[in-house]
Amino acid sequence: MSQLGIPSSLAATSKLVCLERKKWYTKRTLPSIQDQPLLRLPYELLRKNFRSAHYHIEWDSNFVKDLLKQTANGSVTGKLSQQDVVNNLDQMLARMNGLKRKLTACAEEENRLYRQADARVSHLRELANVHTVDDVKYESWSRQRLDRLIVDYMLRHGYTASATSLAQEREMLELVDIDTFVAMANVRTSLQNGSVTEALAWCSDNKKELRKSGSNLEFMLRCQQYIELVRNLKLIEAITHAKKYIIPFTETYPTEANHIAGLLAHSTHTHHVEPYASYFSPSRWQMLADLFTEANLKLLGLPMFPLLHIALSSGLSALKTPACHSREQNQSQQGKQPSSSANGISTAPNKKSATPEAQGRDKEHHGTASLTTSVCPICSTELNALARNVPYAHHSQSHLLEHDLMILPNGRVYGKARLDEYATMSSLPPGKIKDLVTGQIFEADSLRKVFIT
Amino acid sequence: MATEKPKLEVLQEDFQKLQKLPRLSAAVDNVDKIIQLLTAARNQVAETLDSSNASVLLKLQNPVKSAFDSVNDGLKGVAGAHKKMGKALDKSFPVKPLPMDHDAMAGQVPLINRAIAMHLLREGQFSVASTFIEEVQASRNHDTPAELDETMDEDDDDDDDAETNENANEDEELDDADDATSTTSSTENYDLSSLHSKELQENFAVMYKIIQDLKAKNLGPAINWARANSVELEARGSNLEFELTKLQYVWLFKGPAVNGLPDDEFNGRFGALRYAQESLLRFSPRYESDISELAAALAYAPNLEESPYRPTFVTETAFGDVSSSFTREFCSLLGLSAESPLYLAATAGALALPQLMKYTQKVRSKGTEWTTANELAFETPLPKSMLYHSIFVCPVSKDQTTDANPPMMIPCGHVLAKETLQKLCKGTRFKCPYCPSEGHMKDARQIIL
Repeated sequence: MSQLGIPSSLAATSKLVCLERKKWYTKRTLPSIQDQPLLRLPYELLRKNFRSAHYHIEWDSNFVKDLLKQTANGSVTGKLSQQDVVNNLDQMLARMNGLKRKLTACAEEENRLYRQADARVSHLRELANVHTVDDVKYESWSRQRLDRLIVDYMLRHGYTASATSLAQEREMLELVDIDTFVAMANVRTSLQNGSVTEALAWCSDNKKELRKSGSNLEFMLRCQQYIELVRNLKLIEAITHAKKYIIPFTETYPTEANHIAGLLAHSTHTHHVEPYASYFSPSRWQMLADLFTEANLKLLGLPMFPLLHIALSSGLSALKTPACHSREQNQSQQGKQPSSSANGISTAPNKKSATPEAQGRDKEHHGTASLTTSVCPICSTELNALARNVPYAHHSQSHLLEHDLMILPNGRVYGKARLDEYATMSSLPPGKIKDLVTGQIFEADSLRKVFIT
Repeated sequence: MATEKPKLEVLQEDFQKLQKLPRLSAAVDNVDKIIQLLTAARNQVAETLDSSNASVLLKLQNPVKSAFDSVNDGLKGVAGAHKKMGKALDKSFPVKPLPMDHDAMAGQVPLINRAIAMHLLREGQFSVASTFIEEVQASRNHDTPAELDETMDEDDDDDDDAETNENANEDEELDDADDATSTTSSTENYDLSSLHSKELQENFAVMYKIIQDLKAKNLGPAINWARANSVELEARGSNLEFELTKLQYVWLFKGPAVNGLPDDEFNGRFGALRYAQESLLRFSPRYESDISELAAALAYAPNLEESPYRPTFVTETAFGDVSSSFTREFCSLLGLSAESPLYLAATAGALALPQLMKYTQKVRSKGTEWTTANELAFETPLPKSMLYHSIFVCPVSKDQTTDANPPMMIPCGHVLAKETLQKLCKGTRFKCPYCPSEGHMKDARQIIL
């Protein structure tokens, strides 16, 4: 990276950087990829809802039409008595009433999804009306976005009660997808508890789409059913099951089908013979649960991992600087005993244990920001450990938080204004200054100007 | 681009058009029609003689069929509406692949949980936070029953032990970051039981109470807090205590008509004077000039509006200002940043995301990869308010300085990265790239920004 030689056109470079920044400035308040699922999901759910409505209509209308024809024929030929005809008509009515009930549910769901989509577009529109990041409206929008991301994260981890109560507290039920994730979590939990029934039902609901996406979920579930039969030594049933559900897919999944056949010979007592032993492993249930989650997310067009993760991994890096985990700074901070012996604040007798590592950190920060600044978010307890392994932000220019930098004899650099202010505040005699971090007192004459290019 | 109609506006209009398109409710109406037909036929059959059955049923065939046909036609309309919606979405919000193929945060669940719990506490969402902590702990115990004992061990009694462990592990983690097993074992320590959520919650509850009082223009609790922590505040160089006391004086000065406090000897100008004698004077050496200004204003009291002291007595924004500096100091004394770090990180993440996406696209199309894991390969500009550390980029090498490559000041006062300086050296001497002066390597000094 490091090339020697004095940059010939520093001015030109900085101009370019400015231009780049300006372009970015106008773009940054637009909804980003994080908001993509917000609108896509209602659309996918609308289509899914439509498919199930279509299926109900198809199924029940064929039944009614056929029965009506039969009944008419029967009554013309006189095969059916009056009572038979009434019974048949009652049957048709029962079917149609059932269909009406199901369709009403679908229609309500459709209205709800349209409402949701509208609410979400208006929510995103709000952001489009905000033009700069410094706008107060941007802040409240961004806070709501974080709440959305947190709810999404909680739902994906199955913390449903937390997600629901946060969404209610923040009045944003239209902006989060609790029902979708709860349904997903239920199937997932049933798999983790060793039941394939719910997952198979889901597969049959989404047969077409699963086939289209080439998912092996159903096959894997059928294999698991077979494995359980073998485990319980119901070998005849296992063979029948395999004939029906596994043999037809031998060409698609040759390895698994082979192993499955081999399982019969090995049964459960050959724990150590691979690959058969792993088929009996209880960890397969977790694998199936993950497989199901993946298939379900894919079908709904949702990202595979929480959106909060994406926001965090890009945000942590953008905020992180080499100083955030610097040993230099940590040591200097340890070297200095906190000026106050009364370490705890009165309201928080236990604060030491609450934030052990952060204790000294705020002291260190006097050195890097203005006299009473806030602690850097990456240095703050919440994120410090989390940010440890992410790369720090790239900067092509120095960014100094202070002007008129002066170097102290101990090598520390501060802005002149802040040194003066601190000296007054500490009631130092004229001609003396005090190090904001270490508390050392120096002659003002010993300071030198520093030039940062 | 800029002159075009904003995409979301277009999308919203497109969505509004969907309102008028057919919905599934039409199918419900048609099914209802069929039910009516069937019911009528059934009643007719049940009431009349055998012979007329056939004709009733034959007459039923066509209306039922056409009703089913209109159900299906309705469905076509509904499907068409959905298709339009899909097109509108594709036009205004085309599907883009996520900027990451793998989840960089996958192994960090305990840490993220902790960050979320602290965020919720900080936002004052105490009940959500406690639900969340319960759910996280329940799922942990469910996943790994063996760890239950471990969690139980970390009781309140051995806080100190837990603390030292945590610190030790933290250092260990730094050294063995590559070693997967040790990383996991030390992240375990960052679970929610080490959060001490109770104390945090108590602290934040105190903070919220004081902020609420400040909103209600009651400065008392804040002043008490500042006084109790005056040593730490002073060490931080904060003048919060004085600012609060000063505002209290100003507030009393304004009298019952403005502050709504009881009209007695503790309020109004005399109350303010009395308060100044009790509370303000102890700040006298340091804030001499402020105090004399406040006192002098008493003389101008009848006509304060036209006096030179007017600005000091404007309280419109004062309570808000004092409240935000209170929040900052309170959090800083806890070692926490004043704004929720999770909020800042998520916001910065959203701002940096376009850059990340652009970068991933280019990397994908070229099939290359950035090899330096320590530093991002692209710039992610953030607003000034999101810069917390001074950053020094060596003007020659364009590298950011780090512990290993610190900034060095050469005798003429210019600053370069250490590695740059080493490369500039001919023997032990170098010439400054920015001015004619020369220097010795031994005269260069490391600086701490």
